[in-house]
Amino acid sequence: MSDRAGITRRGLFRGIGTAGLLAGCKPSERPPTTTEEHGDAAGPGAGEAALGPGPAPLAFTLNGEAKTVEVAPHVTLLAALREQLRFTGTKVVCDRGACGACTVLIDGVARNSCMTLAHDVAGAAVTTVEGLAPGGKLSVLQQAFIRHDALQCGFCTSGMLMSCQGLLERTRGQKLGREDVEAAIAGNLCRCGTYPNVVAAVLDAAGGSA
Amino acid sequence: MPDDQRVTLKVGFAEQLRDIEVQLPAGEPKPWDARSELKVVGKPHPRVEAPLKVSGAAKYTHDIVPPNALWAAVLRSPHPCAVVESIDVAPAQSQPGVSAVLALVKPGERVIFAGQDIAAVAAKTPEQAEAALRAIAVGYKTEPFVVDTAAAMQDGAPLVHRGKVTERSTEGDEPGAGGSAGQRGNIRTSPSMKKGDAHKGLRMAKVSHEATYTTQVHTHSALETHSIVVQWDGPKAATVWCSTQGIFSVRDEFAEVFELKPADVHVHTDFLGGGFGAKFGASAPGSRMGFIAGELARQAGAPVRLLLDRKEEHLCTGNRPDSRQHVKLGASVDGKLTAIHVVAHGSAGIGTGAGVGRNAFGIYSRCPNVLVESHDVFTHAGPGTAMRAPGHPQGAFALELAIDELAKKLKLDPLDLRLSHDEHPVRRHQFELGRKQFGWDAGRKQAAALRDKQARVRRGFGVAASIWGDFGRGKAVVATVSVLRDGSVEVKNGLQDIGGGITTVVAQVVAEVLQRPVEAVRVRLGDSELGPSVGSGGSVTTASVTPAVRAAAEGVKTQLTALAAKQLGRKPEEVTWSEGQARAGSKSIAWAELCKKIEGEAVVATGTRPETYGAYPVKFMGGNSYQIAGVQFAEVRVDTWTGVVAVERVLAVHDCGKVMNPLTARSQVQGGVILGTSYALTEQRVMDRVRGVMLNPNLETYKIAGARDVPRSIDVVFTPVDTGANNTGAIGIGEPSTIPTAAAIACAVHDALGVAVRDLPLTPDRVLAALGAVPTRGAG
Repeated sequence: MSDRAGITRRGLFRGIGTAGLLAGCKPSERPPTTTEEHGDAAGPGAGEAALGPGPAPLAFTLNGEAKTVEVAPHVTLLAALREQLRFTGTKVVCDRGACGACTVLIDGVARNSCMTLAHDVAGAAVTTVEGLAPGGKLSVLQQAFIRHDALQCGFCTSGMLMSCQGLLERTRGQKLGREDVEAAIAGNLCRCGTYPNVVAAVLDAAGGSA
Repeated sequence: MPDDQRVTLKVGFAEQLRDIEVQLPAGEPKPWDARSELKVVGKPHPRVEAPLKVSGAAKYTHDIVPPNALWAAVLRSPHPCAVVESIDVAPAQSQPGVSAVLALVKPGERVIFAGQDIAAVAAKTPEQAEAALRAIAVGYKTEPFVVDTAAAMQDGAPLVHRGKVTERSTEGDEPGAGGSAGQRGNIRTSPSMKKGDAHKGLRMAKVSHEATYTTQVHTHSALETHSIVVQWDGPKAATVWCSTQGIFSVRDEFAEVFELKPADVHVHTDFLGGGFGAKFGASAPGSRMGFIAGELARQAGAPVRLLLDRKEEHLCTGNRPDSRQHVKLGASVDGKLTAIHVVAHGSAGIGTGAGVGRNAFGIYSRCPNVLVESHDVFTHAGPGTAMRAPGHPQGAFALELAIDELAKKLKLDPLDLRLSHDEHPVRRHQFELGRKQFGWDAGRKQAAALRDKQARVRRGFGVAASIWGDFGRGKAVVATVSVLRDGSVEVKNGLQDIGGGITTVVAQVVAEVLQRPVEAVRVRLGDSELGPSVGSGGSVTTASVTPAVRAAAEGVKTQLTALAAKQLGRKPEEVTWSEGQARAGSKSIAWAELCKKIEGEAVVATGTRPETYGAYPVKFMGGNSYQIAGVQFAEVRVDTWTGVVAVERVLAVHDCGKVMNPLTARSQVQGGVILGTSYALTEQRVMDRVRGVMLNPNLETYKIAGARDVPRSIDVVFTPVDTGANNTGAIGIGEPSTIPTAAAIACAVHDALGVAVRDLPLTPDRVLAALGAVPTRGAG
């Protein structure tokens, strides 16, 4: 990406945030999301001024809708989504980046929202499981999950879907193999044992949408 | 009321079908049997609740936030054994945001595992609750402890319990298991299972095998942690949301603790994020969650959410106990088993239930002499509890690997040795079927060739069996089916769907009876006010619930038939149903038209399930229920340089009576295989013997199998059996599907290496030690 050349040290660390530094389990062909592209227009959250310790305004796009919320700087994106914005489709399981249940897309890249500070998404576009079916019509991927019975208790399902959606978005039009899907969900734990059905569902969805 | 009826049912499996006579209670619909031609039941159908789960709309207990709800947090003992000398919770009360504080121990009380409840608070935010816990001052006098099972068995080991131990049992436990035959030191002896004279059988044996097998502590690790949300509706009534496998067990415990009428406790579990045996009652096995949340909410005058974190989930919500099984097998020279003797010790921490199941006693039943002696060994660790087929995976591992080691001494094919001792016709059928489908004979030859060549990468083939009972419960479920004037159909029951797919199966049963599309049946579950139901434990759900649902649907159909007869000017017995139309002679009336004629709002019927009335062809442990059969074959690849085991293939051949929904049943078996693979290869609770605490209470060092760790292929084959047990023919599959997996994998590793790895999990160091490549590390 061409804009990498202009990154400053401070800007880089601010941009990567905890998400970038700790998201090693989410391999991605894209460089870590930075707030450089959107930050300046995104309000105080992305500016140079220090935040906190109290709540500070944060503006970002959630499932295509502009949101402005008051969030304390220590609050994770996961907590902000669930407890403040009441988007509870994203689940808390380990709360430390080991299980993938809290995966969301940040500018199209699958990330653990428990390892991302809410203020790190200032100006970014966040997609949660609730955003996969705009207008209530289930996506090709969601339908494939249902058809292939890629869910049992359903608690890992949101995170699985978001990791798989991230895969589909970054490989659009490419032919996918089983290994691609397994790599994409390598950071998503399921206790009911749905993995083979998830793989089948994604391959089906990728074939269907290609 | 008509009298009891006697009907002929066609029962059996595969080609082995026969007619039996069954006595049915009055009003019971004639059971679906091998003659029944069903259109909806038995056909794959996607989960009806799946759209909610894939869109994030499904509400779990974690997601429930009543207005003004507070967060609860619990202070837990950092010490494995200590006497509380002082506790002062007052400083927490004045912390910001705090509304209620609760001491859960008194000075002088002894805490006996690290993670035990000490105190709790309710505050506006989780951060405030955590901060308030840090303000609580507790003085402890630490005492000697023991967290290692073998060490706890020694004379002079620190005693975990000073008095008699009360057994805690739940609907997750296997019926008939449990009980005590005495206690000495930290060792509590369970009643033994005995047939013939095993000691004599061993003396008579010309060939024998004796070895010790160990298994690790396995935590349930359901993704949704134990959680409860309490809202008081006045002083004597409450609404409770709980992540539970047993809605009524929550209601009853909560009512008992707070001295309420059960009917005044309204419990909701719309969805739960897994349970695997650990989620019964309002509390967790090692934490009084129901009392804590209820009391904090009462004191605060506001609803309280108590959601455990991942560390707490590992420490105090139950686990599969470990085991150390000394197995002795005796046989004649021509390969007839003369004795099976198992002496098992296992630790459920401070709890009970470390027995090793019915595998050694019940499967290879041609062996005339069997003795299984199980012992609970108390340690200063969180209590074990029922976990998906309690006792059985560990029992299967030791027995089946020992059988393989004996077969090697006898120079017999281990599958042949099994076949010659297993009398269950269905399991024999499954063994034979699997032998062909899995390519057993060719595989074993290939494995032997690689062994002979001392190849670096070996292949191995193993097989193991499962035993479980059809514990479907009678008189426990009341289901209600309604058909409304607008033609819509609704079924109600106070059941929870743990993820096995019962919601869909219930819809299928009603759709079958009423000839409506599955999508047209609205299933309402997850609420204690929707009628009595069972807990989802012991593989009883489908067998207990579907017959009651069918009875209710048949009741509605009878009423609709009478209505149709009236409309068509015929007698009810002349009315037949096809494609959703009632017909009599040349006349017919469509569903929608018929429903418009309903007087009042709806036609409603309730249904119950009588006690199990058939168990063809084999009874479980001499009882009145069918013995569920299953076998699994595993192929492994072992790198003898690195010690890494990879499971290439598993073939799971199971019966679960009449398969209600092959799509969800297959998923459930696949899940059992994956859980078993994870148990076999990576999962292990690690205790620090010096500090007495769990070292890996998380999901990065407690290793659950991920997508790339599971078998490369899992084939699921059902061998349907009509047992005549109940009116739908359903029996359970949840537990049987995970029983033989680890055992089959261990047997396959034995085949690959030519030596057995006798300790779970089958980690690389143990594989290398078994090969003599590295020194042996003490097991357990």
